[in-house]
Amino acid sequence: MDQNQPAGENYANPKTCFFHVLFKAAALAFYILSALFFDSFVIIFVVTVVLAALDFWVVKNVSGRILVGLRWWNEINEQGESVWKFECLDQESLARMNKKDSWLFWWTIYLNAVAWIFLGIFSIIRFEPDYVLVVGVCLSLSIANIVGFTRCRKVMLAKWLDVLI
Amino acid sequence: MSHSDTIPLHPSSQSDIDEIENLINASVQSGPATVLPARPPSPPRASIPVSSTPFIQSNIPPPTYNKPPVVPAVVPAAVPPPGFGSQANTLTEPVWDTVKRDLSRIVSNLKLVVFPNPYREDPGKALRDWDLWGPFFFIVFLGLTLSWSASVKKSEVFAVAFALLAAGAIILTLNVLLLGGHIIFFQSISLLGYCLFPLDVGALICMLKDNVIVKVIVVCVTLAWSSWAAYPFMSSAVNPRRKALALYPVLLMYVSVGFLIIAID
Repeated sequence: MDQNQPAGENYANPKTCFFHVLFKAAALAFYILSALFFDSFVIIFVVTVVLAALDFWVVKNVSGRILVGLRWWNEINEQGESVWKFECLDQESLARMNKKDSWLFWWTIYLNAVAWIFLGIFSIIRFEPDYVLVVGVCLSLSIANIVGFTRCRKVMLAKWLDVLI
Repeated sequence: MSHSDTIPLHPSSQSDIDEIENLINASVQSGPATVLPARPPSPPRASIPVSSTPFIQSNIPPPTYNKPPVVPAVVPAAVPPPGFGSQANTLTEPVWDTVKRDLSRIVSNLKLVVFPNPYREDPGKALRDWDLWGPFFFIVFLGLTLSWSASVKKSEVFAVAFALLAAGAIILTLNVLLLGGHIIFFQSISLLGYCLFPLDVGALICMLKDNVIVKVIVVCVTLAWSSWAAYPFMSSAVNPRRKALALYPVLLMYVSVGFLIIAID
């Protein structure tokens, strides 16, 4: 296989990209469309939150690794303090990462959070505290991923700047 | 190394795996270089940074102290060594490994927190590998069970149960922190969520058996079990003189959940 794929030609990991988008879109779609089909808040809540949680897991553990080569997690060390750990692939592999993949990755996670914020504003305006709860949970999961990956990228860039200087 | 269950890796990732395998083989023979005993867990977490952020570059996989003597033939780069994982492997491991690792962590956390274990180490440290999947599942399950048992207003019951448990866990954690206790926010939430497991069992039994006496007995037993499970972690986190102040609200929350279970009809 051609190792130096010309950037922008094709997605290098189409299956991962698909799953990356799938759960986000499913959660949003289900939440928006469910009012038409389901009368029960419980089902809406559980299904939306489960889809959002699955999306969180997929982004954090699978698509983050494969599409942009980043990973973050939190550990508690011996002294009982919470420590953030970041990890990334080495520079050559990162340079070879497909541009389209990483574009898709970053844009979808930002757009996802923005969409949930809009939905949250709607439910606040309509005075539906139950739905604000759902939106709150989904939004906090998206923001967690955004914050985690952004910090990871910043730390990584800072580290490389140190190495070069 | 079977790739049947894995996501097709980018060709550059495959060469990374080979490169890393060679490095591992080479470095194991030359002895430990840098040692970073990191356990790479990956549960859903919204972490708030508290302290330093050591950055690790994964093209130099550091062999750890506890790494068992590796057979020089083939180191399957897809499987992290038992105990500690070399960082490089977690970035390129197949998805199934991640799933299995997370599932086994949930099970081990459950066993640690809820089941009697006379040999368990200092309770304050036991839930160091916290994760929020377990608590999430238990809270949702409890909400669903209560909602099923209710004959009217099912949605409100669920929403109330979920909000009560989630907000209760957060408030209880803040309580411990404000009392000057030493506990990590998410560790505590994780703990309180895992301690709901006995109440889940109790709620399930109450849903199946409608007799009031049975319900009261079951709820009392499971309530005692939950409180017993939460006690060592909460009490070790605060100053001994403030133990009661930290534990009483926990007990109160579980008692109210118990009432909710009994009173649902």
